Amino acid sequence: MSDLELQAELGLGARRQGASPRPRRIGVAEGLAGAVALFLVLAAVVPQLLAPGDPLAIDPLSAFQPPSLPHWFGTDESGRDLYTRVVHGTGNSLLIGVLATTIGLGLGVLLGTLAGMLGGFVDFTVNRVLEVLFAFPGLLLALLVILIYGPGVATATIAVGLSTAPGYARIIRAQLVSVRSSAFVEAATVQGLTAWRILARHILPNTLAPLLVLATLGIGQAIVWATALSYLGLGAQPPAAEWGAMLSAGRTYITSAWWMSFFPGLFIVLTAVAATTLGRAIERRMRHA
Amino acid sequence: MQSSGNTRTSRALLAGATLTVAGLLLSACTAAPDAPASGKPVVGGTLTYASGDAEPDCLDPHVGGNYPQALTGTQFLESLVSRDKSGAIIPWLASEWSESDDGLAWEFTLRENVYFSDGSPFDAAAVQANIAHLQDPATGSSTGYLALQKVTGTEAVSATVVRLTLAEPDSALLESLSQPWLAMESPEGLARGMEENCAAPIGTGPFVIKDWVKQDAITFVRNDTYDSPPADAGHEGPAYLEKIVWRFIPESASRYAALQAGEVDVIDNAQPDTIVQADKGDSIQHLDAPRPGAANRIELNSGTGPFTDPKVREAFIRSANVDDGVASLFQGTAKRSYSALSSAEALAVSRPELFEYDPKAAGKLLDSAGWSETDADGYRVKDGVRLTVFFPVSTNQSIPAEQSLFEQIQATAKETGFEVKLTPMDLSSWYGALGNGEYDAVSAPYTKVGPDVLRILFHSDGITPAPSGYFANHAQVNDPKLDELLTEAGRESDADKRKDLYTEAQNLLLEGFYILPLYDQQNHFLLGADVEGARALPTVSTPTFYDAWLSR
Repeated sequence: MSDLELQAELGLGARRQGASPRPRRIGVAEGLAGAVALFLVLAAVVPQLLAPGDPLAIDPLSAFQPPSLPHWFGTDESGRDLYTRVVHGTGNSLLIGVLATTIGLGLGVLLGTLAGMLGGFVDFTVNRVLEVLFAFPGLLLALLVILIYGPGVATATIAVGLSTAPGYARIIRAQLVSVRSSAFVEAATVQGLTAWRILARHILPNTLAPLLVLATLGIGQAIVWATALSYLGLGAQPPAAEWGAMLSAGRTYITSAWWMSFFPGLFIVLTAVAATTLGRAIERRMRHA
Repeated sequence: MQSSGNTRTSRALLAGATLTVAGLLLSACTAAPDAPASGKPVVGGTLTYASGDAEPDCLDPHVGGNYPQALTGTQFLESLVSRDKSGAIIPWLASEWSESDDGLAWEFTLRENVYFSDGSPFDAAAVQANIAHLQDPATGSSTGYLALQKVTGTEAVSATVVRLTLAEPDSALLESLSQPWLAMESPEGLARGMEENCAAPIGTGPFVIKDWVKQDAITFVRNDTYDSPPADAGHEGPAYLEKIVWRFIPESASRYAALQAGEVDVIDNAQPDTIVQADKGDSIQHLDAPRPGAANRIELNSGTGPFTDPKVREAFIRSANVDDGVASLFQGTAKRSYSALSSAEALAVSRPELFEYDPKAAGKLLDSAGWSETDADGYRVKDGVRLTVFFPVSTNQSIPAEQSLFEQIQATAKETGFEVKLTPMDLSSWYGALGNGEYDAVSAPYTKVGPDVLRILFHSDGITPAPSGYFANHAQVNDPKLDELLTEAGRESDADKRKDLYTEAQNLLLEGFYILPLYDQQNHFLLGADVEGARALPTVSTPTFYDAWLSR
């Protein structure tokens, strides 16, 4: 019982410490990241609102035009408007990012929970499988999946999801093991609650909270990976409006038409930075909550 | 000069390209100190070439026989005859030749005192061994095999005279023999077996293969005993250059950047925007050498799928806005073609009126062909099947600008109701797709000297694969009348009659809407300002560095 008291004391203390010196204000970086995220979500959900044109419409006679009033981001080699393509490409990129993260996280939670909760032989087996998967760099694992199932948006999404799963599984397992051996779980066990009830009411809520942070950070990473695959010609295929594919198309003309690769690249960077900044902000707030 | 040599050396060291380092050190020692501005050729130095073509699997151009093999083969192999700028056949390894009156036998007198780089003599027996090698199905030759289809036998009349006997007269024999795919290799080298010969074929040429580091570079060194240049060469005796480092840089922007930085001296497959840039300044030279043979074109598979119907073929051709695309993407470096043949071929027939962009007419043609319904996505439908065109694209053979042109054709054809599915592929997957007949449209370059290329590309015999598995008649044209004209033209030695036959054949082909011509096969080289004397051979426009030297 003295343990439990101590635990409560510590928890309260942490809350007080976190609350007083840091009022809940939104920093400049967080505000900007939020604005970027809002723009991206808007672009993904209602691209027509931000860019009414057709991202695939060609106009060969106005190809290679630098940024101007009618074409904010310039035009590409077929005279397609780059601003329209970047905006319409958002949905593709975000969807790949979110789906891949969901796949990675879902698999990670499943494997991690199995290993962390059942322990023993299952834990051992899952850990060895994860170690094998860890032996491959993530992108290589993704390439392997694409090699087997062929290039395309769906395979790229699954590939990125699969290759991020081991990392999530590891973190979740570690979190589970530490929560399971914590005093409040011990207390619940002593009180005679069933194992499932303890898992559902005590362990999972305490494990999944950090996952929200991980997921936000993960979306940024997944988008970068998915665009990397498209850049290599293994994800979205041209002329689809997808940032990685656009970056790749622009690369050929980088000496004469910088805007073709600059703007898709800028949006990849902005998305990754915004996701990371937001992830960190959530992480801080949760720690101090 | 010396200091720029040093920075280049350190850059190469950083990149870990030890071969290049050795080469640059050599060039710094031999060429830098007293290089004259122009005039007298400097002996020595290393030229670094960066190719954007695929790295060959096999350096023996007899095996398969594609353009990347011709590019490398030109450096160390030689053919019996060559062509000069006007298109006339000139002596090379053969000093003279004669055709029998019935056209069924040819005698070639060979140049004397020519040796392969392994020391074995070049003689009539060597020519026999090479022709046998090309015709052996085990070699897996396609280009050379097709070129020698009419040759039924060889005979060594003496050590320096070889006789070829033919099944029927071949008006294209000399043109065929001038190509690098029919170059002469050491019989002893051939006898080593395919694997060893592929790694380092042995020729009579001005350079010799020293080593080949796969995925990196081939190193050629000078053949010091060489003395058998073609009749139009600039000098006699060994080449000036000490060494050629032949690198593979598939990415076009990196290739151009390497040239700008001075890391390489020559690049091929230059992109339109870099050519325009290079032409503006004077630090880079531009060599424009369109390839002979066929024009670049999209071939419509008339054997299966929607394009079996000529109306649908015509509709596709009318729905494609090629002119605007060529103008914008190639920025004046390529001219639109309306012919099956390259503009380098004197007998090319051009029919612009057949290829006018006319979406309205295209729509009507589709209506009358039964593709009158339209689905929710705007594509034409017939019996519940969407009008889909599978179009595999070889990323090795189509430069980015050409791939963009295909995207534009895809976009304009969509307005008429065609769903064009472009699939970028590497070379081996692309060959696989063609071999399995998984295509409705395809663009495949084919280079051959002379109008006889029409027979290879459009005679129904070309539907049957060569021993290598490659077949050239991608449009799967199967027209007895056309077959007859092409066969007849291939036999005809009278220039006027030959011209009439090829003209009729081309008209038949173009009016059948089997192909959508785009432009001449682009072949642009960019060279550093200090590369002198390099030229493209007038046979298949591969670069030769026999007369080349470095003024630095």
